[in-house]
Amino acid sequence: MTADPLLSVQNLTIDYIGAEADFRAVDDVSFDIAPGEVFGLAGESGCGKSTIAYAINRLHKPPALIRRGRILFEGQDVLDLDDRALREFRWSKVAMVFQSAMNSLNPVLRVEAQFHDLLKRHRGYSKEQSRERAAEMLRLVDIPPERLRDYPHQFSGGMRQRIVIAICMALDPKLVVMDEPTTALDVVVQREILQRIDELRRSRGFSVLFITHDLGLMVQFCDRIGIMLRGNLVEQGTSEQIYHRPQHEYTKQLWASFPSLHGHPVRLERASG
Amino acid sequence: MAFLFRRLGFYLAAFLAAATVNFFLPRLMPGDPIEIMFSSAGSDLSVENLEALKLTFGFVDGPLWQQYLTYLQSVFTGDLGRSIKYYPLAVTELLGRALIWTVGLMGTATLISFTLGTVLGIMAAWRRGSTFDVVFSVGAIMATSMPAMVLSLVALFFFGFELNWFPTGYAADPALDPAFSWQYVSSVVRHGILPVLTLSTVLTGGFLVTMRNNMINLLGEDYIVMARAKGLSDSRVMFWYAARNALLPTVSSLAIAIGTVLGGSLVTEVVFNYPGLGNTLYQAILARDYPVIQGQLLIMTLAMLTANFIVDISYVLLDPRLRSA
Amino acid sequence: MGAVLKSFAHNRKALTGLVIVAIIVALAIAAPWLTEYDPTRRVGRPHQPPSWDHWLGTTRIGQDVFARLLYGARTSLAVGFGAGLLITVVGTIFGILAGYKGGRTDEVISFFTNMVLVVPNLPLLLVLAAFIGQASPWVIALILGATSWAWGARVTRAETLSVKQKDFVKSAEMLGEPSWRIMLFEIFPNVISIVGINFVGSVIFAVITEATLEFLGLGDPKTVSWGMMLFNAQNASALQVGAWWDILSPCFALIALGAGLSLLNFAVDEVANPRLRTGNTLSRWSLLMRRGEGRL
Repeated sequence: MTADPLLSVQNLTIDYIGAEADFRAVDDVSFDIAPGEVFGLAGESGCGKSTIAYAINRLHKPPALIRRGRILFEGQDVLDLDDRALREFRWSKVAMVFQSAMNSLNPVLRVEAQFHDLLKRHRGYSKEQSRERAAEMLRLVDIPPERLRDYPHQFSGGMRQRIVIAICMALDPKLVVMDEPTTALDVVVQREILQRIDELRRSRGFSVLFITHDLGLMVQFCDRIGIMLRGNLVEQGTSEQIYHRPQHEYTKQLWASFPSLHGHPVRLERASG
Repeated sequence: MAFLFRRLGFYLAAFLAAATVNFFLPRLMPGDPIEIMFSSAGSDLSVENLEALKLTFGFVDGPLWQQYLTYLQSVFTGDLGRSIKYYPLAVTELLGRALIWTVGLMGTATLISFTLGTVLGIMAAWRRGSTFDVVFSVGAIMATSMPAMVLSLVALFFFGFELNWFPTGYAADPALDPAFSWQYVSSVVRHGILPVLTLSTVLTGGFLVTMRNNMINLLGEDYIVMARAKGLSDSRVMFWYAARNALLPTVSSLAIAIGTVLGGSLVTEVVFNYPGLGNTLYQAILARDYPVIQGQLLIMTLAMLTANFIVDISYVLLDPRLRSA
Repeated sequence: MGAVLKSFAHNRKALTGLVIVAIIVALAIAAPWLTEYDPTRRVGRPHQPPSWDHWLGTTRIGQDVFARLLYGARTSLAVGFGAGLLITVVGTIFGILAGYKGGRTDEVISFFTNMVLVVPNLPLLLVLAAFIGQASPWVIALILGATSWAWGARVTRAETLSVKQKDFVKSAEMLGEPSWRIMLFEIFPNVISIVGINFVGSVIFAVITEATLEFLGLGDPKTVSWGMMLFNAQNASALQVGAWWDILSPCFALIALGAGLSLLNFAVDEVANPRLRTGNTLSRWSLLMRRGEGRL
């Protein structure tokens, strides 16, 4: 890494504290994400990837406990931020897209309200200003701005996910964390959403932490990939390395479970740069 | 909209069901139904008056379905017969006067307990696992396990008789004439404090636990996490994202709770000698005044259905998903 | 099942509730040994305050309050558990039928259930009891069973709907098991926690409602139960004359039983739905935080 990394996770260890025993969800994990890079975290459910995602914005609630480690964002340890600084940090530096598009939007608030509470909080916008900014963001994801006054249930799953992405863009974050953003959607919509995210990434220059269990998808989309197994980061490398020369047993097993391995090779369709 | 119409249709069916119960009960009991219904009158009623009363309740010559229709006709034209004990006072008038006091008592108590219970429930859920939560949740459960009847008696005993802080009966000082004067109104308030507080204590617990559980059930939802990730303040997330959504199932449980409120209110009135429906009913039972007893089922069912309908309307207002449906 | 019982045993609320209820049941059973008085006979002077002869004093007509309390416990408990059982059985059957069968059966049962739910309970019971005349505790239990099952049916149906989707049910269907077997052996064991909550709740409801009906004068005057004690005391103007033991004894008995059953219910609910647990589930977490062994 020639330049300073945008995000540097160092020796992160997270436990879930039970009544008698603890569960180690994340065990001494370290990785970096450069500015403008797409970094993927792959692994089966329960391996700890979502736990890491939540930790970046410090979204965990008890009984989760961050035992050790640092999460450096632009050189500053997120874990050291006080409440006020943390609330400012959230979304303006790191935004998040969650798995269930169905559920990320508050069902009882209009879409414009869900932009406004954010913009008012971070930038002190008036309703008029929020509406303008919201319309701008919606246009980025091809949703007509007239629909600002609608409620989430009036949109399809794919559209809702696009709205969430629009909300993510609202404060021009440096990093967007995506936790299984397309798993709940059908394949065609999946493709569209990912392409959209890629375009936005290239035009606005943010990094992406992309979390999924779908290794094939990840290889197409990410610059670098980390493989997680039961809380440990067992392998890290560029997509090429992970695809062509997997080192760890588990990574090899993951590939072996893909039927396409015996057909013609999957093309890496990402544009360079 | 369609939702509300369907509910109205349903309520109509329920009201009919109550009327049908009233119709069949005397006819299902062993013995002569007319004898059962009107025997408490003894020889007080003249023949014509007794005949008129019989007509109202469908005791006419003819097949059963004809009797049923006659009864329904009386009911739907607002004629619930006349009280035997207070002849010739119409049942509707007797119950109507009492209804006002009951609605006042129930309404105030429900308002207080729903508001208090909901707010405390929100706080308990947000501070999950803390001392606040434990104290209030367990306390709420203990409060709900106390029957209104018992709490009223205990309250009346301690605060009414022993400590003499509050009057021990009636809606207002019997010596005063009803008027919108300060004297009368303040007397009403003074007489109402103990019954309202007693009833509220019993009810608050239920709403607290309901709201707390509803909140906890949705605190793991993605939109809550996203709200926090957006950097919104704790109070904003708690109210506009969590509580606002948890309010929906809580309001619908309010509809079911109204039946319990009604029951509790009835007993509280009897204990405090409050001139509401409960007390009127109690006297009617002691005197075996069947027209009044039957009438109260219909009036209370009507009150309950109205309250339910109001809750339905609130639900539509609160949940945008129902508005476009 | 073993794990459930274990967590139950560790739950302080469950234990407290169980102990309270057990004590009351024990006292009721042991009534003849705990008092030499016949609860229905006149054994002392009217409205005597508590004394060594009469631990809780006497009623207006000279009966021993303590004896009436103990024997009355038998009635209240019997009706409570009996009616509670009836309510639960009816509600569970309707709930599972409606939830599992779906379609027409569900529509009919749900319509019927909602109707019973929306007609106010106590007024309906009052009308029924008034026409029946002097209702003995068993009759009261029966009419309670016949009118109060609706809420239980509704929650059981909801639970059945979610269990219905599970794999083991689907595989039983594919194996060709008849509906009644599936409902009894697959569905029922998996909704048992809801049935348990329903049962305890119904018992509480039955105890309170039986007492209320009797208090309002609809009971059989020959009955010895806590409700009748309240009715008699109220008629004897116990409060006005200051005979607090007469009216407060059954009051506190009802409070105690209600509290015990509620704690039990709360505990069953928590075992079934661990998310709703109160109490210090976070004690270890807080300890570690304070020791500086982690942060959030």
